[in-house]
Amino acid sequence: MTSAQLFYAINLLIYAGVDIIACLGLSQQFGVAGVTNFAFIIFQAAGAYTAAILSLPSQSANGAFQSYVGGWNLPFPVPWIGAAIVGGLVAVPFTFLVGRRLRGDFAAVGLLVTAVMANLLVTNYRPLLNGAAGLSLVPAPLQGEYNPQSQGYQWLYAAVTLVLAGAVFLLVQRVTESPYGRSLRAMRDNDVVADSLGKNLLSLRAAMLVLGGALAGLSGAILVGFINLWAPSAWGYAETIVLFAAVIIGGAGNHRGAVLGAILVPVGFEEATRYIPPFGPPGLVDDLQWLAIGLLIVVSLWFRPQGVLPERRRLIGAGPPPGPAVRVPNDLVTLDGSRHAPDPDGAARDGSVVGAAGRPMTRSASSAAGPDADPVLRTVGLTRDFGGVRAVADVSIEVRRGTLTGLIGPNGAGKSTLLATLAGTLPATSGQVIYAGADVTGLPAYRRARLGLVRTFQLASEFKRLTVMENLLSAVPVNRGDSLAGALRGRRYWRRDEEAAIDRARALLDRFGLSGYADSYAGDLSGGQRRLTEIMRALMTEPAMLLLDEPMAGVHPRLARQIGAQLLGLCAEGMTILMVEHELAIMDEFCDPVIVMAEGAVLATGTMATLRARTEVVEAYLVG
Amino acid sequence: MSLFLASVGFGLVTAAVLAIAAVGFTMQFAVTDVLNLAYGAVMIASAFVAYALNQAGVDVWIAMLAAAAAGAAGSVLLNQGIYTPFQRRAASFSQSRAPITMVIVSLGMTLIIEFGLQAIVGGTNVSYTISQGPTVKAGGLILTTVQLVIIGLSVVIMAGVHVLLRYTKLGKAMRATAANRSLARNCGIRTDRVVTVTWALTGALCGIAGTVFAINNGSFGATSADLFLVVILAAVFLGGPGQAYGAMVGALLIGLATEISAAYINPSYKDVVAFVVLLVVMVARPGGVLGAAA
Repeated sequence: MTSAQLFYAINLLIYAGVDIIACLGLSQQFGVAGVTNFAFIIFQAAGAYTAAILSLPSQSANGAFQSYVGGWNLPFPVPWIGAAIVGGLVAVPFTFLVGRRLRGDFAAVGLLVTAVMANLLVTNYRPLLNGAAGLSLVPAPLQGEYNPQSQGYQWLYAAVTLVLAGAVFLLVQRVTESPYGRSLRAMRDNDVVADSLGKNLLSLRAAMLVLGGALAGLSGAILVGFINLWAPSAWGYAETIVLFAAVIIGGAGNHRGAVLGAILVPVGFEEATRYIPPFGPPGLVDDLQWLAIGLLIVVSLWFRPQGVLPERRRLIGAGPPPGPAVRVPNDLVTLDGSRHAPDPDGAARDGSVVGAAGRPMTRSASSAAGPDADPVLRTVGLTRDFGGVRAVADVSIEVRRGTLTGLIGPNGAGKSTLLATLAGTLPATSGQVIYAGADVTGLPAYRRARLGLVRTFQLASEFKRLTVMENLLSAVPVNRGDSLAGALRGRRYWRRDEEAAIDRARALLDRFGLSGYADSYAGDLSGGQRRLTEIMRALMTEPAMLLLDEPMAGVHPRLARQIGAQLLGLCAEGMTILMVEHELAIMDEFCDPVIVMAEGAVLATGTMATLRARTEVVEAYLVG
Repeated sequence: MSLFLASVGFGLVTAAVLAIAAVGFTMQFAVTDVLNLAYGAVMIASAFVAYALNQAGVDVWIAMLAAAAAGAAGSVLLNQGIYTPFQRRAASFSQSRAPITMVIVSLGMTLIIEFGLQAIVGGTNVSYTISQGPTVKAGGLILTTVQLVIIGLSVVIMAGVHVLLRYTKLGKAMRATAANRSLARNCGIRTDRVVTVTWALTGALCGIAGTVFAINNGSFGATSADLFLVVILAAVFLGGPGQAYGAMVGALLIGLATEISAAYINPSYKDVVAFVVLLVVMVARPGGVLGAAA
């Protein structure tokens, strides 16, 4: 090879490394956590500028032909580290955009617009970063000690870049293949449900923005250290789309796909088109390149939305069939006294056993259940308005410990809204929700779930691209690997928690007869199986109280009765359940007491037998 | 004082252009739940259709009708050929991911339309041949005849939208479809047809908006609407996404705010005002500030 060819090869390697790091950051944000960060490129820009102003000498010492802040002339590797830190810090203010309240596509547009504006500002405001002309003569790392033009230096630069890319791959892989990564993927598949299972969406998304931002910043630093200049034209909003194209084509949710995408799109595509002889008026080839990037995205999303290397299925498996010593049912349905509000009834602490996770578990004595037991959940004048419509009007109810309380009423009576208000999915307009003696009205859904108050949804709400086993595991409240720090510490740190959780999940699957489906994607199950998965997932949170929204809708009657019997079994063991259901036969057989709602208000409460005797109830609902 | 009044005049013109664009954008979102980021690209593509006719000697205001037709045809094609199929596919793949997929697709379509156009018309800016007409002074405002025509046109279009939405069967069907598409279909409204008609009408608005934007801008190129899209989004979100009346009020406020601020700060930053409004609204009131009232 001639030296020109060699130089070109080195160039390619470095670009590949930079693009791989950037794509892995985006893959983590978008493919794994579902955060559509259309402003990704400004994090790379922030890193590149940071590295530049950290390594450049002061303005005057540099000939004063360009103006910029900083100019600290710091030695390698300070600029690179600084770039990663700044890339992460720049992400912090964006977290308010991706919080719980804003629709995903709105947040994406907000980020896109931010990228456009940031570029406009830097372009037009020269004193900060030399405006449109950008920064040039950025020192290469260690250029005082070595000659950056020498081939040895450049080979070394390429090697360091690729090693860093490899390290980043291992890092994101470690995060993704942990219980924490599972939580991220659950959030990606259905954020409202993840919230209801105790996932703090804001903190998950913030962490992903910061992690991805730091990686983007590092990639910018490596790039600017090699090309020695950086200007607004290098980071137009459309550059983000190139990275998105890479991640989508490679395979969102699979980091190997992101690496492949980085090699195929930003490197391969742009290098391949370099050999097209220029034709037509100036700029035509560039235009066609952008046109082709747009086409690549649209066409690949249509023909292969999962990418070249799709997200692979995590096989945890049904494992060895649970032996006779399996901890059913006591282990399944236990109240974790340490996690929930203190139990006012001290007797309920009898029969404490050590659970699978090594934590003390408490089984409520069945004597504590029944109509005379204390109320686990109470509402006072609970009201929820939608615009001018009062869906829940001044509802005051009590649900007593150990009961399977039914909630019936005609369509539009406000049952699901009441359930959502109890769980915190919807905030109450006025009134109070008192759970285990504490006022939880102001708590978001994930906080209530962590207190043991867990809901299911009327519409199927499984995490489609998680297996049934993963759906169950995603709900486990305490796992050392379910935090970014824990995930980074590696499998050895969280293996025991994970194995305990898998044991519990296997026992549940066995109990509900779904062991054979442990490794199936939840999205591929039948309607009834999805309902079961959802109930099992709720049970994995070790709830003290379940709020079930039509758990038997669309389920075969025989299976529905089996579910009902299971629920009764859970109640006998101390669980409290509030269940919305339309099927009166189910209510007759399993629920006591039953609350009747109509037009947002509670009409009556009592056993089905007494309710059937009351004419206003019969008129409102029972005869239609 | 005269600086202030002059900027109010510019603000009204910008608001007039913006209102036409924002109402079209927000109605597309209302009936299909798609944030059509390619809207700006379709605007400019339509403006170039008018430019081609204008070059051939046709009066700009006549050529604008062709731009409206082109915008309508392009928008219907975009929705029928791209967005609707993707939406069906995405919804079956994963319900909660559908809006995200759509916004990515619309960004891809932006690149395709914008750079496809630039490949045809080249990267240099062009201008319509148009006579500005005599300058008119009224109440301290100084406006050219062209600017007055733009304001008048916008007022007429807003009135037309109002009549359409309030007093016609089609308008009612549009509002019903926007409120709840499947319920509207079950009530016997042919929602697919309503959606197509809506995209045709909003596409025509998009084409008109592109032409008056190009007239108002003086010169324009294939990527000129990139920043204007930010301003459109600000007006739309201020008024509440999907709210036609909200978009009108939002356009008036944003138009005035950007131009008046341009009189006192560096004009390069005037769109930053729109951007700040957009972000604040998104964070504080994602349903829009004016949405509930409209």
